[in-house]
Amino acid sequence: METKKLTFAFMDPPFENERTITFFRILDAALDQGADIQVFAYEGAAALAFSLQKAHGNSVHHRDEVQEAHPLTKDWIAALQNKAKQLGVNLEWVNCGLCVDERGVNASIPGCKRGSPADLWRYASESFNTLVIGTR
Amino acid sequence: MMQDYFFIQSQEQFTDVRTRSQYDLALSLAKSGKAVSILLVQNAVLSARKKVDSPNVDALLSHAVKIYADSLSLQQREISPQQLNTSIKPAQLDIVISAMLNGDKVIWW
Repeated sequence: METKKLTFAFMDPPFENERTITFFRILDAALDQGADIQVFAYEGAAALAFSLQKAHGNSVHHRDEVQEAHPLTKDWIAALQNKAKQLGVNLEWVNCGLCVDERGVNASIPGCKRGSPADLWRYASESFNTLVIGTR
Repeated sequence: MMQDYFFIQSQEQFTDVRTRSQYDLALSLAKSGKAVSILLVQNAVLSARKKVDSPNVDALLSHAVKIYADSLSLQQREISPQQLNTSIKPAQLDIVISAMLNGDKVIWW
């Protein structure tokens, strides 16, 4: 059976909104159903793959970095990349170039490319379906 | 081919006024004969509880709109399945992907 491509456009930054969690859960569910995934991350979402994200402890609650287990979105993306590889499906990730420049988050983890809104058009054109998750 | 509509509602009706017009749109589609489903996620699941006074949700349900509530969002808010409106079903998030793979128009609110 032919694998269907699904495109997702997302614009929320890491660490700020529950939408980010839901977005990652949706991507995980897409992999579980064997879909190829294409992500266009723009505006704040361009920082999701920023490789210099750092976990930290919580001195107020007397927890060190390990105990705090602070989640980093770059690690979630890497986990999804690994899962896609194990399942034999594709996960492509493009960050909006202007958006990463504005935020100084050019250093992305491997597998996440720099692109432009033209990539979203290309992704959507070649996908079976597209979901745009907008920030309000 | 009949196109189904699948809305993902992340906004909570008691504080986000725009949900009224969103639900009106879904209702209009249902009244025009379209198959419409709505998945409540995040704080939107608060509307899924029994005894919540929500004319919008009641109208949608009376026009055969299927309404689901994300199981994890319910769990995070300590809303048990027994506390749900009996016409609203708990669902896993993979229902979104099923709709996308079915070719539905999937729209995030």
